Amino acid sequence: MDNQYIKNMLSQMDKELASKGMSRRDAMKLAGISSASLLMGGTNAQAAEEEIVKTDAKGRILIIGGGLAGMSTARRLTLKLSNPDITIIEPNEDSSNYQPGQTLVGGGIWPIEEIIFKRDDYVPDGVKLIKEKAIAFTPQKNYVTTDKGTKVEYDYMIVAAGLHLDFERLKGIEAAGRCYSSGDNSNLLKVLGDDVCSIFTAEGAERTWEIMQAKIEEAKKASPEKPLRFIFTHPNTPIKCGGAPKKIMNLANARLKEAGVRDNVEMLFCTNGGAMFGIPEYHDAVLGQFKREGFKWHYRHNLLEVHKDRKIAVFDSKWQEKGPWDPIMHEYEVIPKHEKVEIAYDFLHIAPPQMAPRELRESDVGSAAGWIPVNKQTLQHFQYKNIYAVGDVAQVPMGKTGGSVRKQYKVLVDNIIAQMEGKKLPAKYAGYTVCPLITTIGTVMLAEFNWTVKPTPLLPLDPTVERWMWWLVKIYALKPMTQIGMLTTGRA
Amino acid sequence: MKRIILLALFASVSLLAADSASVYRSGLLLPPKGDVIYDRQCALCHGDNGKQTTFKGSAMDIKYAPIAGWDVAKMSRELLRYKSGREEKDYSPVNKTGYGAIMRAATKDLSVAELDAVAAYVNGLK
Repeated sequence: MDNQYIKNMLSQMDKELASKGMSRRDAMKLAGISSASLLMGGTNAQAAEEEIVKTDAKGRILIIGGGLAGMSTARRLTLKLSNPDITIIEPNEDSSNYQPGQTLVGGGIWPIEEIIFKRDDYVPDGVKLIKEKAIAFTPQKNYVTTDKGTKVEYDYMIVAAGLHLDFERLKGIEAAGRCYSSGDNSNLLKVLGDDVCSIFTAEGAERTWEIMQAKIEEAKKASPEKPLRFIFTHPNTPIKCGGAPKKIMNLANARLKEAGVRDNVEMLFCTNGGAMFGIPEYHDAVLGQFKREGFKWHYRHNLLEVHKDRKIAVFDSKWQEKGPWDPIMHEYEVIPKHEKVEIAYDFLHIAPPQMAPRELRESDVGSAAGWIPVNKQTLQHFQYKNIYAVGDVAQVPMGKTGGSVRKQYKVLVDNIIAQMEGKKLPAKYAGYTVCPLITTIGTVMLAEFNWTVKPTPLLPLDPTVERWMWWLVKIYALKPMTQIGMLTTGRA
Repeated sequence: MKRIILLALFASVSLLAADSASVYRSGLLLPPKGDVIYDRQCALCHGDNGKQTTFKGSAMDIKYAPIAGWDVAKMSRELLRYKSGREEKDYSPVNKTGYGAIMRAATKDLSVAELDAVAAYVNGLK
């Protein structure tokens, strides 16, 4: 079915292109160029032949975590140091999984094998891997201790430990506990059951597709008068890839349309926030798309409880009311109100609350908020100057995506080498992140932005328009870019 | 005064000893160790054998149940209620004997798997 669909899509595309006097090959080249410039992040294609200058700087570097951030940082460090002394601590053998593909697995576009990257395949030559878990941090004396009792000393430490998905916070499914996005999550799947799913883990993404197919079958028996209700949630914490809840919603929508049963289903998006997107331009675009597709949505709804037996989700709904006149401030008081709202569901997709791992949250390296407090531009720890953080665990606004890591790891490597050489930190991260927001099977809105909260597109195309070209980039270009560009060469 | 200093010294020494004796920490998604968690979080009040029913240092006269040998399912349910539960009628924290806050603190950072492991350990206490 999928192949047939893609074939149809491609032939449709060929027709469109032919009308503009262009072959698919040309178009792919164009997409290839755009993906190449994606790699460079808005500079130009020449940067692909970036000149690598090796340095003799010395120091023992310890990397906590072997995910995309940790592994690609290690790779790039081996590229730039002539005598690298690097150790990675990572207990999970699936830690390097291609997480951006989880939406595609959840939507049935890819099989799960596409996104499983084995940790051991990506450890750069000459880098030592310790298959244990770092559980105690002593930054004052520059060492960490693992669960097996190994003490590892360092001169420079890079924390890339990722984050915990905290299902435990949701009443009714507490037993799902906390987990990482990769690895064995059979307990999580068992607790979530047959109506509740989450693409935030690799195994969960596969299960999401199974559940979605079952629900589409069920929808065939429903009617527009008595529709099924599909709910998609967004929590009150920072999350990996803020667009993921919407992407899977759009893919579910596409699959329902494909089966011809879209009218039998009510699609509902419940977000804790008060807008669809932090960037006004993209907010308007997404809202327009929601209206066009007939989605419903509730703002300021945070998921609290799941009653699996009754198929009811309980949300904390917040709003403000006008209070009495305040004679001193010369304005009406604003009274915040909230109440619990019960909404019945037939299919519930949960984006779980997320937080920094406990061992870091409670260590001297962490902060009260949990994330590692680093300067958001240089990625250097505020207090311990020989510690850096990168990826999900770093306290960097809007920085929990693979696209952010692609910018962060270069900044980090430049800075750490400068520090080893006793120079001033040269590189600054500007908050670039990218969200290839899948709007249906075949089109993607490539939302790129940084801390200026303005769209920062790299091609002169209206960024708020959904395009098939970005779909090709998402499907074909981004994975090799991550796999080859970042993990195996450290150049992307 | 001397006694206080001595006590403080003793406490800090025992803390250090506990730290180096075992490298296990709860709440980190490691394979759960019921016995280690029991020693750290429970044994002070419930005794090494799970039969202690009062805390001598307390000014109030509070009694609680001897927990040794409790059913595993019942025990995990109770622990989970202490950890995250609220009473259905008024949403107040669970507090059965007056030590609710302490039970909450002791269970707060344990994962559900770890609560189950502690329950299994307590079930095995004689």
